[in-house]
Amino acid sequence: MLPVFICEDEERIREAEREYIEKQILIEGYDMKTAVCTGSPEELLEALSGEQRGIYFLDVELKGASMDGFELGQQIRKKDARGFLIYVTAFQDLAFETFRYHLEALDYICKQDQTKMFADISRCLKAVTERMQQEKGQKQPYFTVKVLDVVRHIPVEEILYFSTAGRTHRVELHTKRERLDFIGSMQELERTLGPRFCRVHRACLVNTDQITGVDRKQVSIQAVR
Amino acid sequence: MTFWEITCANLCSMAYDIILMLCMVRILLGRVPDRGNGSIQKHAVRAMVLGVLLAVAGTVCYLTGFWKIEFEIGQILWEYFVLAAWTVFVHDLYRLPLTTCWSAVLLGAILDSYGELLAEAFVYGKFFHLSVPEERRSYLFWLLVILPACRFFCLLFVRRAGRAYRHWAKREERKKGILLLLSLYPMFFHLFLRLLSSKGGEGQENLLLSVSLLLVLHLILVYEGRDEQQKERILQQQISLMQQSAYIEQMEQIQTEVRRFRHDFKNMMAGMYLQAGEGDLNAVQRFIQEMTEDFDRQAGSQIRLMNQLANVHMTEVKGLLLEKLLQMQKAEVACELEVFRPLEGTRIRSVDLCRCLGILLDNAVEEVSGKEDGQIHVLISSQEQCTTFRVKNTLYGMVDLHRVGTEGYSTKGNGRGVGLSSYRRITDKYDFVLTSTAVQDGCFIQELKIQEISCQDRYGMDQEKADQRTAEREVG
Repeated sequence: MLPVFICEDEERIREAEREYIEKQILIEGYDMKTAVCTGSPEELLEALSGEQRGIYFLDVELKGASMDGFELGQQIRKKDARGFLIYVTAFQDLAFETFRYHLEALDYICKQDQTKMFADISRCLKAVTERMQQEKGQKQPYFTVKVLDVVRHIPVEEILYFSTAGRTHRVELHTKRERLDFIGSMQELERTLGPRFCRVHRACLVNTDQITGVDRKQVSIQAVR
Repeated sequence: MTFWEITCANLCSMAYDIILMLCMVRILLGRVPDRGNGSIQKHAVRAMVLGVLLAVAGTVCYLTGFWKIEFEIGQILWEYFVLAAWTVFVHDLYRLPLTTCWSAVLLGAILDSYGELLAEAFVYGKFFHLSVPEERRSYLFWLLVILPACRFFCLLFVRRAGRAYRHWAKREERKKGILLLLSLYPMFFHLFLRLLSSKGGEGQENLLLSVSLLLVLHLILVYEGRDEQQKERILQQQISLMQQSAYIEQMEQIQTEVRRFRHDFKNMMAGMYLQAGEGDLNAVQRFIQEMTEDFDRQAGSQIRLMNQLANVHMTEVKGLLLEKLLQMQKAEVACELEVFRPLEGTRIRSVDLCRCLGILLDNAVEEVSGKEDGQIHVLISSQEQCTTFRVKNTLYGMVDLHRVGTEGYSTKGNGRGVGLSSYRRITDKYDFVLTSTAVQDGCFIQELKIQEISCQDRYGMDQEKADQRTAEREVG
């Protein structure tokens, strides 16, 4: 059962949201339930147990509250890293990429037009159930890394190799579709990643699954061209 | 002396010369060679081969009397030969144009010979009888202390001339003339020395001469460099002026659009007033809808962009973004900018930041322009502990991510790929800057993250490491 949390300062809209969501849950038979419906971010945060994954409908601009929707999202992420954040806003020019980048927000809804708002809410609920279904099927190991203020989860099978380029504490991660710097050390990585990765050089740790050939001088890995 | 004895002696002096030359070139060019140009061992072997070859060639020249050809022709030719060999070596090491290598090597050689001249001035007119222990000791003292000291003194001088040299090397016009003049230098130098020794001048004159030559060279370089610096400064001012006027123009455009809307808005209100009087609520709702949409269409997008831009409080960055946005508008490229929290400043120098952003934006524009559905999205996010710049554009070709940023790699044909390699070089300068490149959902994404909390904060750093450790766990 997924709890649904709503934080919206305007009471009228809050109630409309709640009513509509409850109706949708009933009609579509979703495995969800509205848990908290409030105008105060503190109340919402208090209600979080830190164990359960939830769905959050958050207003971006919370009038009279101690924090805005973005900060509330950051606080929620500390307790519920895998929850679904959906932002509700009056402005069409919301900086949504920023929300998605930092908070992995699922979507945003414009509350200017009520019929469109309801349609968007049901779309989001559908997307959440689809996502949940998808995740059930796959269970692959992830490499989790913190890049300054963002945490990234990268499937281990996509990693080609790690390398260092002279500078202290900086490691480059290469996957098929990405090259990424982060702060870490090769020794640590070698220890934590286990035998699946092989230190072929002082400055290079290769995913053995990706190796296509080895000769006396070089190790070839799958090329991406 | 036998062939081997001479060769061995030559080898020693060659090794010394090569090390000195490498230092000079390093200072003049202002950087060490790129890692991508080959391993250290490979270059070390090449340097050794070069040293041995030159030593053997020198011995042969000495024994055959090549150096004693009339009018110093042998000496001059020999000097050119050595310089050419070094140029090729430096070219191989740095992968820079041959003319740049040639001028750097030449300048290094000139300064080095001044050092030697300076050292010789100390013992001018004195002959050491090496069979006398006393004299041998003083000769060794001169060879091992005074000579290196003078040469390193010149090296120190180059340290200050290096910047001027690099400025000079950047300019195009008049460069050839000076290069030619410099190239003639070994000839002049030898003839000059010959003239001097035939006259049998005094030691002090010699010292004075080398110092004054040094000064002249310095003045030329400084003058040329200053000139270049000044031009650069003027150019920068012009750019900032242009950016400011563009900003004002943009603002005026918005203002006219708002004024036009105000006019329409009055008419619409009048219509709505009538309908509200008739009690037709649906029509009123429709009216409000239309009006907001209208406004968004007319001035909204401009205002939106400007609103985001207003959050950028670093003038240089704001100017750059504005310029690039206008450029995109002209090229009819759809662009969106997101600056959620105000950008006040970052830890890297703003010049470097601007260059990096400029490179990323130019690349994005180049990829997208001319395409119909191309889009660019720029995200600037300043959080407490770090600032993120992200440029995302629709990708049409294929990119080898692992080669992006290596010199000469480009999707746009040969001789390109300069932008991202200098981007890489700038970001590599800072320990607290992390970059990433990715292809995701048909988009090319470049990210630049700057850690804002100082690394000197010991506690903060340890905390960071602890976080790292917990984060590096593998999730099953």
